[in-house]
Amino acid sequence: MVGEVMGTREEMLAMLRMMMMIRNFEETADKLTLRGKVSGGMHNSSGQEAVAVGVMSALAPDDVIATTHRSHHHTLAKGFSAREVMAELMTKATGVSKGRGASMHLGDVARGHFGGNGIVGAGMGIGMGAALGIKLAGDKKVAVGFVGDGGMNTGRTWEAVNMAAIWKLPLIVVVDNNQYAVETFIERVTAGGDLPKRASGFGLPASTIDGQNVLEVKDAVAKARDFALAGNGPTFLNAVTYRYYGHNVGEKGQYRTLEEIEDWRTNRDPIDQLAARLFADGLLDQATFDEMTASVEAEIKDAVEFAENSPNPDPADVMLNVDSGKLRG
Amino acid sequence: MEEVFIPALGMAMEEAYLEKWLKHPGDAVNAGDVIALIETDKAQVEVACETAGTVGKHRFEVGASVPVGETITVVLAPGESE
Repeated sequence: MVGEVMGTREEMLAMLRMMMMIRNFEETADKLTLRGKVSGGMHNSSGQEAVAVGVMSALAPDDVIATTHRSHHHTLAKGFSAREVMAELMTKATGVSKGRGASMHLGDVARGHFGGNGIVGAGMGIGMGAALGIKLAGDKKVAVGFVGDGGMNTGRTWEAVNMAAIWKLPLIVVVDNNQYAVETFIERVTAGGDLPKRASGFGLPASTIDGQNVLEVKDAVAKARDFALAGNGPTFLNAVTYRYYGHNVGEKGQYRTLEEIEDWRTNRDPIDQLAARLFADGLLDQATFDEMTASVEAEIKDAVEFAENSPNPDPADVMLNVDSGKLRG
Repeated sequence: MEEVFIPALGMAMEEAYLEKWLKHPGDAVNAGDVIALIETDKAQVEVACETAGTVGKHRFEVGASVPVGETITVVLAPGESE
């Protein structure tokens, strides 16, 4: 980890704790899903924490994100509580989306989260629309469109990049590149082999960054944000990361070797790397680390209890949020 | 004590058919050992344990349809009992 700007000790510890909280949330939610307590598909983001936390650490609270089917880490890092996200996974009335959306449809426009979705590459398109809205309104903020590596080979992604580039929209494209589109290794399906090269063809700054290094991600996004706020338009960041579990919970994952997974877990884990650096720099001691571990465990345990004890949505409200209600009697 | 259960492996999976017990009450097992074979709507699946120990009682017979999330047996640590 060289070259990044270190923040204050409080900022560093907050980033570490958020990554630890996301990891605990995901591993807990994974087990609950296997037990049949989570509705619909569930995509575990364990291993990808630094992308989410690095991005959100560089954004202002008013900045907008639009995400993908794998979005718990983005949503928690954006500041949504473990309680409301866990409750949404169990489709409870107290969930982020009032129990309508489950794991893949977390979001709240009022809080700058334009939602997850089940459409490959759509987070980028929605993020581009949000950036257009920001520009038309003359607001001083940016939008982040998250897309996976699978979304790099779908047409709408590049339509959105093109529009953002010609209109100089305040958009940051972040490829949460975990290298596998379900079972397909990215290198087997990416002509030209280099994603930033594709983006730079549209005339925007584009680079590959270490998605396991939260400080590098934060730095790159902070620069992209300044660039966008100065009216220069979009930036493309290919954040290379790795997911420790299958594409969805319950998947057997026989397309990767155990050695490969173990290597990423042991040698490139984003939480281990930041903790090691903070220990080495004297910003973290064992007592503080143990306290953080215990407080994260308590927070997730509380979130599970909250979700399990929350009511299901009331069937009488089934039409709520379907339309404006103006056309119905 | 580890509960070995029928995992939810798909969005629409509600139960599984218990096809075969590979480990029996009193058998010593290691983490990762396959305890039972089950069949879902789509595939045959191995249900393995995550810890080492001794297999407890079979809670279902071969041929049973078992709901998702239901515990089918346990793995007991030394000194534990059901």
